[in-house]
Amino acid sequence: MMDQHEDPKFEQWLKGAAKSYHSPLPTPREEIWNEGARRNKRVIELRPWLRWAVAAAAVLVLGIGIGRWSANLASSRATASTAAAGRRIPNEIDSLASVAYQIAATQYLSRTEAFLTSFRADANRSASTARLARQARDLLTTTQLMLDSPAADNPRLRSLLEDLELVLMQISQLNPVQDGHDRDLINQGMNQSNVLPKLRSAIPAGPVPVRTEGAL
Amino acid sequence: MDESTLIARVRAGDSAAERALYDAHVDRVYRLAFRLAGDDALAQDFTQETFIRAFDRLGSFRGDAAFSTWLHTITTTVVLNGLRKVKRFRQREADIDDAHDIGVAQRHAEPDLKVRLKQAIDALPEGYRTVFLLHDVEGYTHEEIGAALGVETGTSKAQLSRARAKLRVALSDFAGEWIA
Repeated sequence: MMDQHEDPKFEQWLKGAAKSYHSPLPTPREEIWNEGARRNKRVIELRPWLRWAVAAAAVLVLGIGIGRWSANLASSRATASTAAAGRRIPNEIDSLASVAYQIAATQYLSRTEAFLTSFRADANRSASTARLARQARDLLTTTQLMLDSPAADNPRLRSLLEDLELVLMQISQLNPVQDGHDRDLINQGMNQSNVLPKLRSAIPAGPVPVRTEGAL
Repeated sequence: MDESTLIARVRAGDSAAERALYDAHVDRVYRLAFRLAGDDALAQDFTQETFIRAFDRLGSFRGDAAFSTWLHTITTTVVLNGLRKVKRFRQREADIDDAHDIGVAQRHAEPDLKVRLKQAIDALPEGYRTVFLLHDVEGYTHEEIGAALGVETGTSKAQLSRARAKLRVALSDFAGEWIA
């Protein structure tokens, strides 16, 4: 039995008419593949750095752990057992790995702040759209890595990273034809959401050695 | 070479197999991404993200469902999450535009059917719109939609029915088109 809401004529007509809705273009296979390969390469370039930072932290902690363990043995303190030292080492590795992620986050936030400040200050549009879009894409990749890392366990940092992801996505898609209008909209959006003040308050005080590296 | 062999070779790190698997599925993934996003740049980004995630997670593909079903699940997740982010950003822009338009008299021309249809589809709730596009436009079955969206087949059918009902109301001015 037909539902009272069904109307076969309408449904048949709708199926045909709706084909024009977001009618797809031919698939740009090579562009998608090449860009994906470029992004993957970028991820591979970044990941070993992070692994090395964590590995270096782990070696440091092992050194400290072994040192303490040896000292305990030398002083013949019965309570300082091997098992206790063994338990302490993983905790300290976790703690230093977390520090490594925090350092990576601080460096990334500093680069992003420098980039967005420069973007907003570029009132006479001297920077080329292509260059801005490329820098934004690089930072966007790092933002997405940060969102997937333990650094994003902090709810405030996660919220900031999500805001930055949106801004960077918009800059990475800047259209050279409507460049001026797009940039104005992005700047207005940044002002409305207070992205830069939030970003600045998230960066710890003190020197950041890579402040001007990377994107700028 | 059959698909399961291709997948095994991708898992073993064969980049030629990776490209072959991509070539076999990219058209449908891009088509779906474009249909949902309506923008070439976004559709390219979503397609790329889909394949990056799929290749990263290929180890977790157990083969219980067809590879294409598994891939389309990733596609819909990537596209819908991506569109929510873009929508948030565009809403901010729209708020700014609205603020600028205060006090400016608006004149709207009577839109033609194509424009009204687009507006009506865009105005559907996300779930209805997704099911409608997947089923009525892209030809997915309710079983495939259920698997891709993680909902029951009955839910997919109900959402499609409600989407059509809303569209019929929204397009009632054009009833002559389908009655004829």
